Amino acid sequence: MTDTIDLDDVTREYSSVVAVDGISLSIGGGQFHCLLGPNGSGKSTLFRLILGLTRPSSGTVSLPSAVIGCGFQRPNFYPGLTVRENINVFAGVVGAEDWEWNNRVVTELRLVRALDRKAGELSGGFARKLDLTLALIKKPDFLLLDEPLGALDDVSTARFLEFLDEYVDRGNTVFVSTHRVTAFEPYVDRVTVVHQGEVVFDRASEEIDLDSEQSLQAYYVEQVLEREGVSPENRPPVE
Amino acid sequence: MSLRSLLEKELHWSSRNALLLVFLLLLLPAFFAGTSALFQDAVPRSVPVAVVAEDDSVTDSDIEIIEGGLASFTDPQRVDSRAEADRMLERESVYAVVEVPGDITTAGESARFTLVVDGSVVPFLSSSRVIASLAETELDQLLAADITVEREIIGEEKQLPEYLYPSFLMVLVIFFAFSYVPYNIKNESVVLDRLRVETSLESVVLAKLLFFTILLLFPVVVFHAGSLYYGYEIASLAPGAVLALLLTFLLLATISTTIMILSRFSGVGLFVNVTLMLGVVALSALAFPIGFFSALRTTVAQALPTYYTMVITRSLMLKGSEMSMFTEWYAATVGLIGLAAVALEGSIIYYRRRS
Repeated sequence: MTDTIDLDDVTREYSSVVAVDGISLSIGGGQFHCLLGPNGSGKSTLFRLILGLTRPSSGTVSLPSAVIGCGFQRPNFYPGLTVRENINVFAGVVGAEDWEWNNRVVTELRLVRALDRKAGELSGGFARKLDLTLALIKKPDFLLLDEPLGALDDVSTARFLEFLDEYVDRGNTVFVSTHRVTAFEPYVDRVTVVHQGEVVFDRASEEIDLDSEQSLQAYYVEQVLEREGVSPENRPPVE
Repeated sequence: MSLRSLLEKELHWSSRNALLLVFLLLLLPAFFAGTSALFQDAVPRSVPVAVVAEDDSVTDSDIEIIEGGLASFTDPQRVDSRAEADRMLERESVYAVVEVPGDITTAGESARFTLVVDGSVVPFLSSSRVIASLAETELDQLLAADITVEREIIGEEKQLPEYLYPSFLMVLVIFFAFSYVPYNIKNESVVLDRLRVETSLESVVLAKLLFFTILLLFPVVVFHAGSLYYGYEIASLAPGAVLALLLTFLLLATISTTIMILSRFSGVGLFVNVTLMLGVVALSALAFPIGFFSALRTTVAQALPTYYTMVITRSLMLKGSEMSMFTEWYAATVGLIGLAAVALEGSIIYYRRRS
């Protein structure tokens, strides 16, 4: 058993489509780790492979004996229950009985005023917040989040990112799958870019050689377009 | 034209849901068309009856003659003792007992047969009069003695609403297991990923089945309240009957859950379960004794666990029978629950492997 999540030459095929193609990756070490890639690059499949929701066609996924929490791209909760009931149910399921922590998560995510609303009737932003709350209540050593900022307003996004930064500072690992890294750029320790099921690069953020005023988002897009063989003069500008 | 576009959309949708439509438009009609063939007889022509000697003077050949005489309108089954015949009557293995007197072959002698029926099996009471009359005519022609057949009703005679009460409760059990449980499981699919990560499908399903099984006590209590209100003389809270209903619900709900998981929580799973529900309700002989129907339908009913639960429930609620009378049927139900649980676990493993 390791203290990192390790993927060794993992491949996942769906009929004739190879969603993940021989990816090896290590996640852990108390880092803020971003998995970047365009739509259909295999991010979500990789995410599901790590969570055991999808079986690899070949290769192995090794998990540490640590607590792993997850937030889903499509928020996952009981739509027929209220927000409070959802939190209580999943706190019971995962044994998350530290209510001081649970209340703090609810406060940080600005979910308090929605506590007694039916989860199925929440707006996209509040649904996202509930999903993130359910990911956090068990104080996971590894927090895996798939497109966590979708539908969040700017204030909630800023507050949540500060919260995640503090969470990483406590020695926890945060692994975020996204196609837009801009909001995460100030916090990210490691970046892995995937495209067409393969790793384009996997580097610590200080090892990424950005041009002056070039954003990480622009750099990643450039790398992907280069992989696709698009010549520099034909590439669209990226902020 | 918008109508054309919308029709094209329906065509596209249908082609992508071909499996569901094949089920609804081809398999389901074929099933019901086939089922209709099982309802061949409107009057009981093969009611199982026990034939037992009244005393030692009755010979084997006498019994054989009687069996032959009754065979054209019943399904006679020879038994060795009246006690055994009564036990079969209580378990609805037979619906009447024919007691054969001695001296049936001596010309000029009078021989009085007794056709014993249970007062609680209400739909058979009228038919038993016809059978007694037919038996008297048939046997009088067949035998040298002057034959009379007297009908004797044992146990308390019930009214039709009282007789149907356990049947309605049984229908409710089947309905709940094959409709609400699958519907609830389908709704759970939106939170399935989180449940699979945080716990296991086995735990989720186990909690659900236990909860719904306990929940079923509420309709039992409501039925009991109804029976008190209407003044029915039935033991609607008989522990053995309630146990049989709960065990049967657990069995059926385990089957319906397995179907939902195998269908990957889809609408097809719901339709398959509803079809099963209709089939089980129609074929379990819940209201009428199996002898009212064809031999094929009798065989089908006797292959269904719900038929046996119905007999247990009816016997314990209406006749005050002892649970011990049905020990092996309870054991068989528990065994079937075990088998269904194995199938359920298999469906979960299959689901995981296909993910």
